[in-house]
Amino acid sequence: MIRLLLGHQLKAFWRSRNAGKSIAIQIFIGFITLYLLFSALALGFFLQKFIADMFPGEDPSVVFCGFILYYFAFDILVRFIMQDLPTLAIQPYLVHNIRRSQLISFLNVRSLFTILNLVPLLVFIPFTVRVIAPNVGLIPAIAFVIAILGLTFFNHFFILFIKRKSIINSWWYAGFFVLIAAFVAADYFQIFSLRAISSYVMGKMLVYPALAIIPVVMAIGAFWNNYRFLLKNLFLEDIMRKGKHRQGTEYSFLNRFGTIGELMAIDIKLLFRNKRARSILLMTVVFLFYGFIFYKQTYLDKGMWGILLVGGIFLTGLFVVNYGQFLFAWQSGHFDGMMAGNLDIRTYIKSKFVLFTSVCTAILFITSLYGLLDWRLLLVQLAGYLYNVGIHTVIAVYFATHSYKGIDISKKAAFNYQGIGASQWIYTLVIFLIPMIIYLPLSIIFNSWIAMIILSVLGLISLLLQDWWVDVLTKQFILRKHRILEGFREK
Amino acid sequence: MIKVDSLEKSYAGKKVVEIPALEIKTGEMIGLVGNNGAGKTTFFRLLLDLIRADKGNIQSNDNDVSKSELWKRYTAAYLDEGFLIDYLTPEEYFYFTGKLNNKSKADVDDFLKSFDTFFDGSVLKSGKYIRELSKGNQFKVGIAACLLQRPELLILDEPFANLDPSSQMRLLKLLREMQSQHRMTILISSHDLNHVTDISTRILLMEKGRIIRDLHTTEDTLKELEEYFKI
Repeated sequence: MIRLLLGHQLKAFWRSRNAGKSIAIQIFIGFITLYLLFSALALGFFLQKFIADMFPGEDPSVVFCGFILYYFAFDILVRFIMQDLPTLAIQPYLVHNIRRSQLISFLNVRSLFTILNLVPLLVFIPFTVRVIAPNVGLIPAIAFVIAILGLTFFNHFFILFIKRKSIINSWWYAGFFVLIAAFVAADYFQIFSLRAISSYVMGKMLVYPALAIIPVVMAIGAFWNNYRFLLKNLFLEDIMRKGKHRQGTEYSFLNRFGTIGELMAIDIKLLFRNKRARSILLMTVVFLFYGFIFYKQTYLDKGMWGILLVGGIFLTGLFVVNYGQFLFAWQSGHFDGMMAGNLDIRTYIKSKFVLFTSVCTAILFITSLYGLLDWRLLLVQLAGYLYNVGIHTVIAVYFATHSYKGIDISKKAAFNYQGIGASQWIYTLVIFLIPMIIYLPLSIIFNSWIAMIILSVLGLISLLLQDWWVDVLTKQFILRKHRILEGFREK
Repeated sequence: MIKVDSLEKSYAGKKVVEIPALEIKTGEMIGLVGNNGAGKTTFFRLLLDLIRADKGNIQSNDNDVSKSELWKRYTAAYLDEGFLIDYLTPEEYFYFTGKLNNKSKADVDDFLKSFDTFFDGSVLKSGKYIRELSKGNQFKVGIAACLLQRPELLILDEPFANLDPSSQMRLLKLLREMQSQHRMTILISSHDLNHVTDISTRILLMEKGRIIRDLHTTEDTLKELEEYFKI
């Protein structure tokens, strides 16, 4: 039975609309996956050399043992973000004559098919075979591998449980992250050392191979716990999620913008109330801190303004990049309604510009705190900002009129390639290339500041021409409106 | 109000809509019937400029719908969930639609009061986003959003299909009221021959993209249609 259901999953994978449609992206994802696996394998093979290089004079086995629990702690975090819950896969089977326990076993087996379960094996087994086995003998090495398998499966089922719990009650979500943060802080401030613990525990494992039973028991425990939980909650899960009471919100400050304000309110609610869109918000906030990475003191000291300008453009323009690459596709679910409603297209396009400009401006104000590092950064960011609101937004909307792929905004964002086509790749490339094409020659002919001023002035001119751009882009949009609509409907 | 001139639309070489000529007058109540794949929805989408016609055009108040946006001011339509912004609460969606049609919040609230029985207590103040409502309630939201615009031209695709029997009756009553009070032109498609003959003044029967019969509703119309649909 489980085999039959897994067969369906395989068909679902190959026959999904995305699979047939964009072979290029499939190849790309396949390539990236292979690359990651290959990197993991390479890491496994060269680990010995890395350890010897980075920790000269130390016993590689000991260093290796100290590293293992770190890996699995990090693995938990990665899994929490990336691992899928294949719950929906059983929905069509619930009404059929299949026992519940079989369905749950199917769910558990189905969940195992993730690249995350392969990586630790690729990293750890080569090292174990090459270094540990010759030192300690065959039996302890096998026990060691079993222990690593145990830890992998423990993480796997533990995270499934935590994720399912946090769907039902979001406090689990918060609790999990607080715990992780506390853990990281404790290790960072050396309240305890995970490395020492890992070293001790895994070292003992090599001396007493029988100890490998502990991770195995942990894995079985996690599996059993998950199984029991599913058995009890299999039918409740989807219902309970809907229990939340939704409250309407009104952004009164948008009222004076009239229809455009209304459209912006729709966009803002879209960002807050849909999974994939929410991650854009989260990313935008996280990237505000990227200034600490871009604005290095050494760049400032050496006057490497070109790199700093890239940082400035990135920081003030990231929201436009993230939101703009799918601009209309975010609304693909109700695009028919938008186009048939009493809303002229020019106003619609204009609202996107106003949204971009408002968010960029807000970001400019927030990031002006980086001026405390060096006041000249304010000028850099201003140049980046003017480029973004003046020129970048125009490019974003132009590319959006060439994007015919809809997206499902209720799906998670990580590793989600739905709706991504050539136009997204080209777009991202173009918006970082253009300022460099303007800046670099000018900075060589004159100097960095004149180049930046010219970039700013070009941005400003384009910003003043915004209404004209809106007219042009409205015409562009109308040319391809039906194609966009058709693409979005196909989803 | 609507003039169709040698309209044609094909998908993959197959003609799905082929209407040489059709005229719809203001205040007419048109029922569009036909089996699945007859081209009803495609025709509606052409009317709303959601797809491009291969040939011919549709004039709405003497303006080509694919060339001017004037029709949007007096047209309201609900074809499917693709017309709803599903992450809004029903109220938010009504206010949004109202705002696009220059109706204040108070206007909308006023209007919604007359919909209390139609909503049957499960749409307003439900504490749900539209995506969390049942199909039937989503349909009610879509229909109400159309009616609150007080359009001159109303287009509904199978409005009875997802409604419970009481709601179907209420909708029939609402549509009749709207039509007689505001001289609304109404186009609805339906598989429910009873309802559609009951309400329409004119029936268009479609088959494979063509309008094969154009009937002014009389007592015999229902029989005639039943005769056609008999296997």
